[in-house]
Amino acid sequence: MQLKGEMSMLNVLHIQDTDVNKVCSTLEQKRDEAPQFFMQSPLVIDGSELSGNALDLDFSALKEGLLELGFIPVGVRNFPEAANKLIRASGWAIMRAQQAPSNTADTKSEPVEEKAVQAEAKSENTNPATQTIGMNSAMTVDRPVRSGQQIYAANADMTVLAPTSAGSEIMADGSIHIYGALRGRVLAGAQGNENARIYCQSLQAELVAIAGRYQLFDELDTNLKGKPAMIRLEGEKLIVEAL
Amino acid sequence: MSKVIVVTSGKGGVGKTTSSAAFAAGLAAKGFKTAVIDFDVGLRNLDLIMGVERRVVYDFVNVINGEATLKQALIKDKRVDNLYILPASQTRDKDALNTEGVESVINELKEDGFDYIVCDSPAGIEKGAFMALYFADEAIVVTNPEVSSVRDSDRILGILQSRSKVAEEGGTVKEHLLITRYSPERVEGGDMLSMEDIQDILSIPLIGVIPESGSVLQASNSGNPVIMDKESQAGQAYTDVVARFLGEDVPLRFVNPEEKKGFFKKLFG
Repeated sequence: MQLKGEMSMLNVLHIQDTDVNKVCSTLEQKRDEAPQFFMQSPLVIDGSELSGNALDLDFSALKEGLLELGFIPVGVRNFPEAANKLIRASGWAIMRAQQAPSNTADTKSEPVEEKAVQAEAKSENTNPATQTIGMNSAMTVDRPVRSGQQIYAANADMTVLAPTSAGSEIMADGSIHIYGALRGRVLAGAQGNENARIYCQSLQAELVAIAGRYQLFDELDTNLKGKPAMIRLEGEKLIVEAL
Repeated sequence: MSKVIVVTSGKGGVGKTTSSAAFAAGLAAKGFKTAVIDFDVGLRNLDLIMGVERRVVYDFVNVINGEATLKQALIKDKRVDNLYILPASQTRDKDALNTEGVESVINELKEDGFDYIVCDSPAGIEKGAFMALYFADEAIVVTNPEVSSVRDSDRILGILQSRSKVAEEGGTVKEHLLITRYSPERVEGGDMLSMEDIQDILSIPLIGVIPESGSVLQASNSGNPVIMDKESQAGQAYTDVVARFLGEDVPLRFVNPEEKKGFFKKLFG
């Protein structure tokens, strides 16, 4: 066997409230937007934005709540040291705090390693357009996306330079550009961004979706099948236009 | 430097074992020391196709479990020098394979100076197929000209480039597309996918097209790799595949419908 230190992609939940029920119910809404993606996904809790006293937080209840929602609680970070005893007693790992991710554009082809899930429903009265802020990287895929493969660009746009096969699935929180033939499923604006668009060189997708509105290939009302096309959302309707 | 080549497809019955046997025999005939391993534990077939079924004493699983040495289990082919067959176990299942065991067998073959190690994968995407492709440097993806076979090949290509050892270490497994059971007449008639269609979907380089031929079945039943049948089109096509694999530039044959010679053509040639 080998024991290695490695970085892995983890979702981080920034909590602002010590009320476990409130946190869980907000998170549940978030999860239901993309249940497949969040299914059994590991989760780290970040306490740096916590407004109340960390000692009031019931870590055991939080852990159970997350498990019930189908997440796998991994560890916590950015909590005051005074809470360490409580944290350990409830079986959490204490993760090393790290600096807040910078918002500069990342030119690497790797996806951003961290995805902040805002638990607090503070976006209620903010302009939906501001949701795109915080998008801090683009994901580039340069190999064919094969049948059965699933690629997700969290909080980012995706560019695919190769064909995607029937039975594959590509998802991005932002827009998606496909320069090879698009044959699989394609889901842009996976977290609800209605301004996300899909651009492709050869439209043969099995299913296209933007912000949860989807259409099957056969239902697409267009003469652009097999041709370069752009798909955008207008109201509740997917519009296919020539590129 | 020895190379590990997996012959795989996802779908069953497309010609993996036939191709493994022909390809390995072809490499050996060119003077390379070649071993072909049957990964289809429980459904052993390679020994039949190679005509060595009566010579199996120990098998792959025995070697993995340390019940026999590799030398005891390897069967030396009597027709072609440099060709060795490592049969699968018929009495076990795929769970008898494990990464460490397979790795140690492959490493031992490499140390013994084998130039090529051909892994004949079972169908499916479960453990046996996974074990067969895990240590591969290159892959020959066998595909029939029909949609389900093409899709399954696509799936296995995805697995190859994400879960093989080379891929895990950040590299790429070199891919070759081998189309088998190709019938140019039926392609022209529109009831079979053309090789262009298949290449368009899979977008990997083509290493050869084997025509549908009665000689394949005949060769299998008699236990002679079809590549040894120099008269048959399939045998010649496999010879071309081996040549292309070794870097030669050989044009495709048997991919166009045979011309029906009319009366005048017969007269005037």
